[in-house]
Amino acid sequence: MNENIIQVPDKSGISKIMREIAGDLLRQQTISLVIGWEKGILPNKSAPAFITQSQDAEKLIFDEYCYHNLTKYLLQRKGSGLKTAIFVKGCDSRSLVGLIQDNQIAREDICIIGISCPGLMEERNIVIPAKKCEICYTSVPVEYDFLIDCPETKTANDEPGGSYAHRELPRVENMTLDQRNIYWQKMFENCIRCYACRNTCPVCSCKECCFDQANPTWLGKGNSTSDNGFYHLVRAMHVAGRCVGCGECERVCPMNLPVMLLNNKLSLSIEELFDEPPASLSLDVTATLNHFKPDDPEEFM
Amino acid sequence: MKKVGVFVCHCGTNISQTVNCEHLAEVAKDMPGVVFSTEYKYMCSDPGQTMIKKAIEEHNLDRVVVAACSPRMHEATFRKCLSGTDLNPYLLEIANIREQCSWVHSDKNKATAKAEDLISMSVAKALKNESLTPSVIPIHKRALVIGGGIAGIQAALDIADTGYQVDLLEREPSIGGKMAQIDKTFPTMDCSACILTPKMVDASQHPNITIIASSEVEKVEGYVGNFDVTIRRKATCVDPIKCTGCGLCSQKCPAKTDSEFECGMSKRPAIYSPFPQAIPNIPIIDQTACRYFQTGKCKICQRICTADAINFEDQDELVTIRYGAIVVATGYALYDHRDKYGEYGYGQYTDVITGLDFERLVNASGPTMGKIKRPSDGQEPKTVVFIKCVGSRDATKGHEYCSRACCMYTAKHATMVRDKIKDSQAIVFYMDIRTPGKNYEEFYLRAVEEYGVTYVRGRVSRIYMENGKLIIQGEDTILGTQVIVEADMVVLATAMEAQPDATEFARKLGITFDQNNFFNEAHPKLRPVETFAAGIYLAGACQGPKDIPDTVAQAGAAAAKVVALLSKDEMTTEPIIADVNINRCSGCGFCVPVCPYKAISLKTLTERVHGSVAWGPTGREVTRQVAEVNKGLCQGCGACTVNCRASALDLLGFTNEQILAEVDAL
Amino acid sequence: MTNQPLADNPNTSGQEWDPKILVFACQYCTYAGADLAGLSRLQYPTTTRVIRVPCSGRTNPQFVIRAFQKGFDGVLVAGCHPGDCHFATGNYFTRRRYLLMTRLMEFVGMDPRRFRVCWISGSEGPKFQQVVTELTDAIRPLGPNQKLRDIEPSVIGGISR
Repeated sequence: MNENIIQVPDKSGISKIMREIAGDLLRQQTISLVIGWEKGILPNKSAPAFITQSQDAEKLIFDEYCYHNLTKYLLQRKGSGLKTAIFVKGCDSRSLVGLIQDNQIAREDICIIGISCPGLMEERNIVIPAKKCEICYTSVPVEYDFLIDCPETKTANDEPGGSYAHRELPRVENMTLDQRNIYWQKMFENCIRCYACRNTCPVCSCKECCFDQANPTWLGKGNSTSDNGFYHLVRAMHVAGRCVGCGECERVCPMNLPVMLLNNKLSLSIEELFDEPPASLSLDVTATLNHFKPDDPEEFM
Repeated sequence: MKKVGVFVCHCGTNISQTVNCEHLAEVAKDMPGVVFSTEYKYMCSDPGQTMIKKAIEEHNLDRVVVAACSPRMHEATFRKCLSGTDLNPYLLEIANIREQCSWVHSDKNKATAKAEDLISMSVAKALKNESLTPSVIPIHKRALVIGGGIAGIQAALDIADTGYQVDLLEREPSIGGKMAQIDKTFPTMDCSACILTPKMVDASQHPNITIIASSEVEKVEGYVGNFDVTIRRKATCVDPIKCTGCGLCSQKCPAKTDSEFECGMSKRPAIYSPFPQAIPNIPIIDQTACRYFQTGKCKICQRICTADAINFEDQDELVTIRYGAIVVATGYALYDHRDKYGEYGYGQYTDVITGLDFERLVNASGPTMGKIKRPSDGQEPKTVVFIKCVGSRDATKGHEYCSRACCMYTAKHATMVRDKIKDSQAIVFYMDIRTPGKNYEEFYLRAVEEYGVTYVRGRVSRIYMENGKLIIQGEDTILGTQVIVEADMVVLATAMEAQPDATEFARKLGITFDQNNFFNEAHPKLRPVETFAAGIYLAGACQGPKDIPDTVAQAGAAAAKVVALLSKDEMTTEPIIADVNINRCSGCGFCVPVCPYKAISLKTLTERVHGSVAWGPTGREVTRQVAEVNKGLCQGCGACTVNCRASALDLLGFTNEQILAEVDAL
Repeated sequence: MTNQPLADNPNTSGQEWDPKILVFACQYCTYAGADLAGLSRLQYPTTTRVIRVPCSGRTNPQFVIRAFQKGFDGVLVAGCHPGDCHFATGNYFTRRRYLLMTRLMEFVGMDPRRFRVCWISGSEGPKFQQVVTELTDAIRPLGPNQKLRDIEPSVIGGISR
């Protein structure tokens, strides 16, 4: 990490610095694409922006509706050797670290412009803070080349699991087995298996997802409650120890299902069982299921 | 359309008494894919096997399910039976209806129903079986022994005697190891040098052994039969070919430094051989002590060398050599009590020495010419106290384990004190006496009874100086009293521990180590000299503390394993191994850390993309990484398949499809 | 075939209901332990169907969910004791993975009595017998498993709950 930290007086100044940095980078021609956000059609939706010309950098903005985690777009340039600059909030930076740890993008191919995040608003109810901010571990990006530092940075929630998880998890955990079964059964019944949660998930970076495979056929093509259950449980296991809690899965769910909760449950279990920090807070940690300790908890005697 | 044949065995009455075999053979006919089924009293017998072979031919079977005893019993038998036909042996499945059905149940209806399910599962799996072929890897007939102590020398000699080429690698200037420093060996009191140096000479003169001294392993690549080992030959500044070993340079060298061989109790020149019988007997220049390297002036050695062997421009050299097998014999280090045992003075008392120091003190060619003199003033000590288990059996300060040799060498040292010093006293503080070896207990008893060594059971709590004497304060746990002894010298039996660079070295080789950093054997009882890395074997104290007899025995065992491997031109490996579907692999590398055999690595592919890279030019090549399984190293555990989210890795013989077919069969 | 309610099996109708339990057994320890139970003629219920895997580390949690989908009433994943793995480290990874898996299954309402992970060595024939018997006795009062099951509830109307 270098010392390119730019202080802005308040959050309204972030956009201006973004345009300057992006314009400079594109003019230097080492970077051929800058991924950021621009104003959307609706006032409460900012949209991903892909800037290749320095004059277009003026489009870039940062506001409380920039909830898109842009990091997964980098996969589309995987292995090309083309240099990309990308804007990340604190939460996004963790998924970027995840993608580097998963060997999907090379650190040297990307220029990370971090924004210490002042917090976002809920997409569907613009007067309350975004749900993803309630499980925020780090509003300041964990990895960056440039950092736009804003004094209104939302204080990261130090509580493990964050308040959303603290509110919803115990509620479900305190149910009886049968109540919990009904709760999830309802979710699995309502799920239309559109795969939006998977497609947006920055740690779902497989070339060919196991759910799309015919050989072996892990999952039927029809929409059955049982298969939907299989899908959500297996996805939770696949991102166990890798989920960065960016909350994109739940945000994009058209059926408003508590998709993130399964991941939160496992993230908390990992902290409790293995005393490991949340995933991808730094480049030096190993994913939970990629290593073990001989003295891990023993419950299976 | 696949054609499965089902063969139900009665196993005499072992199966048929609780399972209705005729019924099974009947219902099996209706299972999907089954075209033939039958039952017989003893399927494993010759007539039984003939029956299978005939049915394969007559009914054009391409999959065989045998419902019989455990596959652990007869899978190999029936595979062999299939290999006598046109079928690949791996097209066989066994349904275990004896150990896991007829023998453990008594209700005939229920047991038969269960057996039917087991057969259904096997049939479902068999339908997904594919022909598998063992792969063959060539064996390069040359061995590397790493470490030139007694373990390495013995292993190298044993391998070389069978006719194979061996390279014996040693990082010090001479082979010999710790044993060369030892004076006498228990329980026979043979002179250590008298039994070691002939072996060193044998090794140096053996036509099949090449000694590579002053060299270390830089990198190990490859796998069993084909290790490519990069060796760093350290710059010694003496040309080993030109040097005659006359020793003149060492005599004239003006720079002096502490001799490692003499445990710092005497000086050696900067250009030196560690000891007179060194092999190879070629000196090296210690650049940290050499006057020329430190000040830029001197070069006396170069001027007087008649062979013109001194080369101050010498650089480290890297060479890569291919080996079929590797013996690791890197030995041990001694526990350093100085920073841990404050009660023994943190090393501030010069007359508190270690067991190895004592070996040099009593050695006739040592710094005192064999006279026991204490280091501080050269006086002969009259009272010598020995303290055992310093760093051993002491989890708080040192190691939990027992170092195994200390009880015996302490008895030897105490005997030597009583033998060599008139009117002397030898007092040993001990926790337990452990003498589990041939003639060991007798040796210890002799120390007590014939030589009058005093043994006090208890730990020493403190050593301090008073009036020029070392005061040893301890307790006698048998008498339950405090003991205070005035002594002239104290000898600590410090623990054997793993080499300080053991873990780094293990990672280089791809072998594992235990909680104490000793290298792991593949099985503590049944595979004591193998490691988890095929083709790499262990000898001596690098695997755990041991004495010379055990070390030599283990070295011989490791050599036998090496010879068994090298005697083959090629080896076949089990075909039940992991297999990568590179079209699915995203190169995340999660398979790499879970593989216990380091069998998976990532390789880079270059591909042309259709159209353009997103927001980029057209016709560009992209690179991506994919997993690659080394067939020689993979042992088929399947751990990688579960950590592969995309099912790009699968385990042949136990594929996802096969297991799912079994799950779905009922 | 898959959708047939298991309780309709003619061999068990009219008697006490027997659950069906799928066992994933590693071939070096638990499978050998089960064989030893056989050699020692230790009797246990006919409820188990064993799938042999090379190592407990080969047992993908996806197989376990699939088993519940396909109508098994209980699942046992068993392997060598940690430290004894034939493949050195396989079961340590199994332990980590299944510590999470058991929590996840319970979190979505799966009765923990239906799903067990257990270390059974090649010398523990009696333990295999004991674990299988306990598991059967624990599942029997729970009745057939409906959770995650791949059949619509109406189809299994005939089963007593």
